[in-house]
Amino acid sequence: MMEDDRLYAWGNPWFRWSVVSFVVLAVLSFLVGFVVLPSVQRDYTAGGIWASICRAAGLPANWGAGTATDKASQPSTSVVLAPAMALPGSSDAVGRGATIALQQCSMCHGVQGMSEANAPNLAGQYPEVVIKQLEDYKHGHRIHSFMEALSRNLSDRDIADIAAYYDSVPKARTAPARYSESSAPALVRVGDPLRNIAPCIGCHGGTDHKLGAPWLEGMPKEYLVVQLNDFQKGTRRNDSHGQMRNMARSMSAKEIDEVADFYARRPKGEGG
Amino acid sequence: MLAHFWVAFAGFLLAILLGEWQMYVRSPLHAWVNNPEHYYRSVTAHGTVMAYVLPTLVAMGFGYAITELALKRPLVGLRWAWAGFWLVVAGTVMAAATVASGKASVLYTFYPPMIASPFYYIGVVLVVVGSWIWVALMSINLRAWKKDNPGRAIPLAMFGNVTGAYLWAWTSVGAAIEVLFLILPVALGFKSTIDAGLSRVFFSWTLHAIVYFWLMPAYIAFYTIVPRAIGGRLYSDTMGRVAFVLFLVFSMPIGIHHLFADPQVGAGFKFVHAAMTAVVSVPTLLTVFTIVASVEIAGRLRGGTGLLGWVKALPWDNPMMLAVTFSFVMLGFGGAGGIINMSYQLNESVHNTQWVTGHFHLIFGGAIVIMYFMIAYDLWPQLTRCAPLPRGLINTQLWLWFVGMLVLSMPWHLVGLLGMPRRMAYYDYSNPALRPQAWTVTASTLGGLLLVISAFLFVYVLARAGSSAATPAPYTFSRTAYANERTPAALNTFGLWVAMMIGLTVVNYGYPIVQLALLKETSVPAITIGGP
Repeated sequence: MMEDDRLYAWGNPWFRWSVVSFVVLAVLSFLVGFVVLPSVQRDYTAGGIWASICRAAGLPANWGAGTATDKASQPSTSVVLAPAMALPGSSDAVGRGATIALQQCSMCHGVQGMSEANAPNLAGQYPEVVIKQLEDYKHGHRIHSFMEALSRNLSDRDIADIAAYYDSVPKARTAPARYSESSAPALVRVGDPLRNIAPCIGCHGGTDHKLGAPWLEGMPKEYLVVQLNDFQKGTRRNDSHGQMRNMARSMSAKEIDEVADFYARRPKGEGG
Repeated sequence: MLAHFWVAFAGFLLAILLGEWQMYVRSPLHAWVNNPEHYYRSVTAHGTVMAYVLPTLVAMGFGYAITELALKRPLVGLRWAWAGFWLVVAGTVMAAATVASGKASVLYTFYPPMIASPFYYIGVVLVVVGSWIWVALMSINLRAWKKDNPGRAIPLAMFGNVTGAYLWAWTSVGAAIEVLFLILPVALGFKSTIDAGLSRVFFSWTLHAIVYFWLMPAYIAFYTIVPRAIGGRLYSDTMGRVAFVLFLVFSMPIGIHHLFADPQVGAGFKFVHAAMTAVVSVPTLLTVFTIVASVEIAGRLRGGTGLLGWVKALPWDNPMMLAVTFSFVMLGFGGAGGIINMSYQLNESVHNTQWVTGHFHLIFGGAIVIMYFMIAYDLWPQLTRCAPLPRGLINTQLWLWFVGMLVLSMPWHLVGLLGMPRRMAYYDYSNPALRPQAWTVTASTLGGLLLVISAFLFVYVLARAGSSAATPAPYTFSRTAYANERTPAALNTFGLWVAMMIGLTVVNYGYPIVQLALLKETSVPAITIGGP
């Protein structure tokens, strides 16, 4: 016969010991975690015991308050990419965008967005890419004498409409069905893990496309080489968190040439 | 029950092939995989099946078996049990199809901002809802039995089984909240940003406790099957109950040790969780002690004498003896590794390296899954009315599994210490810094091959059993060494322990969750997987 004395009573040793050890364990570990350990860390104890407990709890109030923001931490871009920016525009927006594009962009970027002047192709470019770059030119985060001047007079709506227009034009060409070992350079396909170079097709389309990464297939080679060199030297710095600067930094001149050559290639039997 | 086991093992067979493929393509035996996405797709499928589907189905099937065999009465709510089973199957198919189409390569850990197709999450939710039906049924069946048997102690197997069910019910709440309130709104397109930090805290609530749900069937087998199968007695029934309730109380509030490298949780809570994780080693140590003592009884009953003479007298040709030995060896290595993982400082050096992969393959794939095999072997004659299974084949299978798992996971531990990151589709072996580590990946690939052979052998033994019909002896669980052991009231009910489980979760998770939920501007843009 099992003992049927009351379980939830202080007289029951199982109950008493369970509750006592439970409380003791919890209190002890909290004391060590929130009082003892922080007290031996100098950066935790500044401001007294209460502040150190708050810090141990992960309370961000006043963390780093008053420390001067150094120049290097100035944002490289003011654009926050949102998935909504990648949605196709209305036909009205496309029409307005086409009008502006014809007047202001087509001279260099081509009437259909296919450049004959080694400016980047914009045909079929992702809308969030066009928006981000124009905003960056407008606010001085990306530097180009023509583009800064041209973008200065564009309203947010103008920019969105231009992006919608180019999004509606067919791309220079679609991605190959497979990026094979024989045709695509290793950096494009698999990157170089030990130099922290991610594969191009991991963001720019191929295996995956990340928001804000431009479509590169069919881009003029000269443009790509100049951009990679600028990222490498840090003269172009509107990539948030230095994403592209970190990729380009350890690329050799030969590798830059190979990668640009690959994206600009004109496959046999292709119209354009 | 049979259906649960068959689906579990069919999935297991497919997933183990994927695992071996992953090992092969990133070893020096193969050129770099051309599309890394395929690798991550495979990791997701392997992990989802092995971590969610296999243990859930085994726990459910074993739970139903225990209910009938230990309570000696038919299962209440058979129709509901089938409904739960089909929900799990439907969820698995749905999630697997989404993964196969490349829309869900999120690596089976629900770490935002990576977001998969909603069908993947809905599939996983169906699996969990199916298992909740099981939880409810276990509780209902126990209640019905208690009503008819007032004052009697719950059989240990059923006690452990219901502990596992309650553990799982509370454990899955964390991920359920994460998926329903944070992930699905984004996956379905209602929102484009997600609070990644809060999501991960919720996931950690489930992430670590889930391993104790995986482990429960193995521990029930240790206590209630092993001593009987090798002709011994269970040393202490009470110790088993203590171990089970300790798991119930301490498995939940410790998950933040998976987030040691995450900035959103304060260092104080990280320490508290590390300390509580250390406490979870107590029930395992209790279990190892009790089971070794029980095995010693078997050795002495067979005429073993002296300090170690009983070890020689043990029935070493008995598969259960072999399995429990292998399981404890792997549990020992895995547990020691686990204590390194949970300590706040040591974790720094192994965080997200191959060490971690080695750790959970050894402890789950090794120590626990080998007991899943034994549960299936042990129940099979009852379930299929077949003749006793061939011992020789089973022993071969167990040896292959043991050796394969060690050859697979020991090199992982080694290179993890050297800093090799986990979840990489390829390594650059041409680099002089990595060249000396290349052989370890080849070794793991070979270990994986042994595991594949072992897995096929396992399914072969089970499948062939149907060809020879026989009436098995009535099924029994192990007897205790002291027949008139009294069960204290505290260890015959769950109320106190469930209350402590919830209480400790509130203490350890309450503040971080509330704080993160109230912080403004913590959401980041979600990254949907499988974009154009």
